[in-house]
Amino acid sequence: MSIKTRVFSSALSKAERRIYGAVTVIFIGVFLATMWPIYPLFNRIRPFVLGMPASLFYLLVLVFVSFFSLLALFRWEDRRGKLE
Amino acid sequence: MERWLIVTLVTVGYLLITLLVGVLSGRGASSSTAGYVVADRQFGFVIMYFVMGASIFSAFAFLGGPGWAYSRGAAAFYILSYGTVGLAPWYFYGPRVAALGRKYGYVTQADLFAHRFQSPALSGLMAIISLVCFLPYLVLQMEGAGYVFDIVTEGRIPPAAGAAIAYGVVLIYVYHSGVMGVGWTNTFQGVFMMALAWGLGLYLPYQLYGGVGPMFEALSQSVPEMLTAPGLDADGSQWTWGGYSSSIAISVFGFSMWPHYFMKIYAARDERTLKRTVVWYPTFMIFLLPIMFIGFAGILRFPGVEPADAILPTIVTSLDLPAIVVGLFCAGALAASMSTGDALVHAAGAILVNDLYKVWFKPDLDDASERRLIRFLVIVIAGVAYYFAVFSSFSLVYLLLFSYGFLNQFLPLLVAAFFWPRATRPGVLAGLIVGCTTVIVWTSFPELQWQKIHPGIWGLAANFIVMVSVSLATPPMDDEHVREFVVT
Repeated sequence: MSIKTRVFSSALSKAERRIYGAVTVIFIGVFLATMWPIYPLFNRIRPFVLGMPASLFYLLVLVFVSFFSLLALFRWEDRRGKLE
Repeated sequence: MERWLIVTLVTVGYLLITLLVGVLSGRGASSSTAGYVVADRQFGFVIMYFVMGASIFSAFAFLGGPGWAYSRGAAAFYILSYGTVGLAPWYFYGPRVAALGRKYGYVTQADLFAHRFQSPALSGLMAIISLVCFLPYLVLQMEGAGYVFDIVTEGRIPPAAGAAIAYGVVLIYVYHSGVMGVGWTNTFQGVFMMALAWGLGLYLPYQLYGGVGPMFEALSQSVPEMLTAPGLDADGSQWTWGGYSSSIAISVFGFSMWPHYFMKIYAARDERTLKRTVVWYPTFMIFLLPIMFIGFAGILRFPGVEPADAILPTIVTSLDLPAIVVGLFCAGALAASMSTGDALVHAAGAILVNDLYKVWFKPDLDDASERRLIRFLVIVIAGVAYYFAVFSSFSLVYLLLFSYGFLNQFLPLLVAAFFWPRATRPGVLAGLIVGCTTVIVWTSFPELQWQKIHPGIWGLAANFIVMVSVSLATPPMDDEHVREFVVT
């Protein structure tokens, strides 16, 4: 078995690998932020934001972080002509 | 005109439109198996967006979601949490799956993994596990449909009839149009679901409290324990962080691997469409927020509703809303159920034939026969599910508990398929079998669930350990073949 185990394609440049790596880290971060031990730190009722308890608004923020990260990645890929 | 009659007419109107859309859409695909199962790989962004959104959000979202918020408070937040990152993995591995699908003609999830690991046994095994996961899920959709019909017509259309009507419609358009029917109806149903969720989710708290803010303020005074995670367990006691966190984890790990979902990757027209769908998916998923508001609205105003899943229909029918609105609600709930049920029954037929029958019993099955057989099985599977929904008291909710646990056991396959060249056929098979067995044992003996961590996690751990050790102990696969799949 001569094939090395890789996470990123060897065809990617260092800069590209950094970008994908960063997005991956963001998503792992968001994933972990939804649960113990990170979520408990933000798990309070007040302050209310947009009528919602902070514990719920926090999750909405995480949704935004995910959405904008992936949107940014998509736009970046698009500008570089990477998308068919 | 009597109230229930208006409600029924509005609902029938929705069903007729769905039927029309579902049947007519069939003309858009070829009469091959590829046309029937993956729409000739031509789905555009709008359809993909609604298929992804509507297929995964089922009667559970419409009934169970508010039900959880109502009876378990912030425990319901886990549903919002896993939706946040659940589909993101597709952005990264989806295009690879789609490209391989185009190259080798895959139509199901097992097609890819069986080819990667050169294992017909794996194909059949995945098919069996998929069916085991699908069945309770499908039955629950039918029960949900029947349930809603019953409540909004004040018992005049009993659950058995309601389920039969809704799923009779599903059967007609799935039989006729295959995945095109699923896609187009999901688009209509998805719009419906979202409109209903946002409409009711903002209106009901306003009616009952004067707004979302005042509602949560009132709850924070009376039942503050409902507003902070992890909320309550099913028996009303405090849920654990272990239970809450692991529920999110297994839902995230399993989310993108649901077989009826995964195979939609093949249907996307191109990489751009697929990625765009993943990017915009959270805008659909966010409808879970108003859905939860409805459940919270019920806590102080409608105490003691049993079962908790009845809270949304109960509130809607108790508030003297215009009959048309109640009818639209019923249609919305049916849309949620049917948009998942149609994908399940369609996929079940395709998987049974393509991954189990063809691979294990009749490899020379020609395309036309395969398509015919899939259609036939779609009817059979719907019939079996209907039987369980209406006539059997067998607790399929219990079976559903196994489902996510089993589903998670596909994750090591995914990781090995694309990232670990040294994985071998015996390794993945052993891992899968041990993983599923662990799930069965841990589910059957809840005392083993330390910190109430879900059986699926224990299964995953066993699965990975066995897969790695058995793979390393067996000869490696052929370089050339593996190079086609793994990241190099």
